[in-house]
Amino acid sequence: MARSFKQRLGRLLSLRTGIVLALVLLLMWVSAAFALDQKQVFLPGETSEGHHVFEASCASCHEGFKPVSNENCTRCHQAELVDDVHGTKKFRDPRWAEYRERVDVLTCTACHNEHVHMFDRGVNLQPDLCMACHEELTLTQLKSHEGFAADGCWTAGCHNYHDHRTISTGFLRQNMGAPSMLPVQEVPDRVVATSLETAPTPDLQKEFLGGGS
Amino acid sequence: MMRLVINPWLRSLVLVALCVMLVLGTSRTAKASTQEELSDITTQWQTSVHALNDINCASCHQSKETKEFLAEPNHETCQSCHEQAVDTFLLSKHGIRLLEGDAPLTPAMARLPMRQDAMQHQMNCNACHDVHSVNTVEASVDACLTCHNDNHSLNYQNSKHAELFAASNELPRPGAGAVSCATCHLPRVVAEFDDTLVHVNHNNTYNLKPQDRMVGDVCMNCHGIEYSYNSIFDPELVEANFDRPPTLELQSFDLMKAAEQRRTGNTSE
Repeated sequence: MARSFKQRLGRLLSLRTGIVLALVLLLMWVSAAFALDQKQVFLPGETSEGHHVFEASCASCHEGFKPVSNENCTRCHQAELVDDVHGTKKFRDPRWAEYRERVDVLTCTACHNEHVHMFDRGVNLQPDLCMACHEELTLTQLKSHEGFAADGCWTAGCHNYHDHRTISTGFLRQNMGAPSMLPVQEVPDRVVATSLETAPTPDLQKEFLGGGS
Repeated sequence: MMRLVINPWLRSLVLVALCVMLVLGTSRTAKASTQEELSDITTQWQTSVHALNDINCASCHQSKETKEFLAEPNHETCQSCHEQAVDTFLLSKHGIRLLEGDAPLTPAMARLPMRQDAMQHQMNCNACHDVHSVNTVEASVDACLTCHNDNHSLNYQNSKHAELFAASNELPRPGAGAVSCATCHLPRVVAEFDDTLVHVNHNNTYNLKPQDRMVGDVCMNCHGIEYSYNSIFDPELVEANFDRPPTLELQSFDLMKAAEQRRTGNTSE
């Protein structure tokens, strides 16, 4: 009896030492990651191809443990959202409230989560996400779309969620039928004006020979 | 006996200390230029758009605030004049690390295939631009190929685009008929409120996904919409860098044609 108690105590002690040791090791590992600026060790999964080059810069997107805000995304992605057909301007309107419950269109991370599996274009939702709102209209009422796959809207390259400018039916209608090679094949020319006839005298010389910082 | 043990230790310690001093020493001061290098650079600069707009050595190599000499100006120096170019560069994969205060991007960090001899190149304005000659022809193809080593990049030389680029032969910047890497990936954009102002969008990731951004901004300067879409949505043709006309026939155009027929049919009734 006494022996088994002792044994149990021994086992408990070794268990406790084990846990303490593990915690100390964990603490050392975490502090080492911070001290050596190796924050990649905290990444919970693979970073998307758009973000992986600065994946160790946690503070670029995260403010403590708060959820990533839209403002954080638009800090870099404003240009992509200039003409957003599913934009906040439209969906803040109460008339669209019902649809907001199906897909949280006002929150970037609802579709663009990070460190999780991406289907394409940084979208973590299943590719048939459009069906949450558009199923009724397209797959049942639109004759032209009969028999189309539910996950093909954007993966086939026909529709975009945000930027419609160059893929809308209006744009296609307006531009279809043009020859393969347009009559004039030119990109905008870039002209840089000059204000002097000849170069001025260089104003630094010996500084370059001396090196410096 | 003791001396025998200590000696190798001491020796290696001294060696390590010397190495550390060497690394610290070289990183703190930039290499001094030789008179010959300086003359070469001055010659390049004298015919450049910089010189002919009175942008002198001190415009970039001297701090505006402290008047201190800057051997190696950085992207912030360029930004003081080229605001739009640097602002868009900082949003690209090339520049985002600088925006976030990290060390510059190197090809070693990339997921795309890069050249082995370029793995440690640091991505900043100077990586692509010769800032003394201000010749952007080099920045538009050769600069890309010093690092990028994937099939699409390497196949550029087989394309009609490359022929046009070689034939255009304009200096100091590619003409309107030349098609370089930069023509598609760092496209020229006409300013919204001033037709005469043409910027270069240095955010190379902007028109990559979805691809139709590139169709509208770039391809349709020269090609019809069907040709453009049928090319850019064919991954094999993209990998071959458009070395032949497209064979893909996107169903979207059939749908559109059918819709047009219905529409015009209805209106004529």
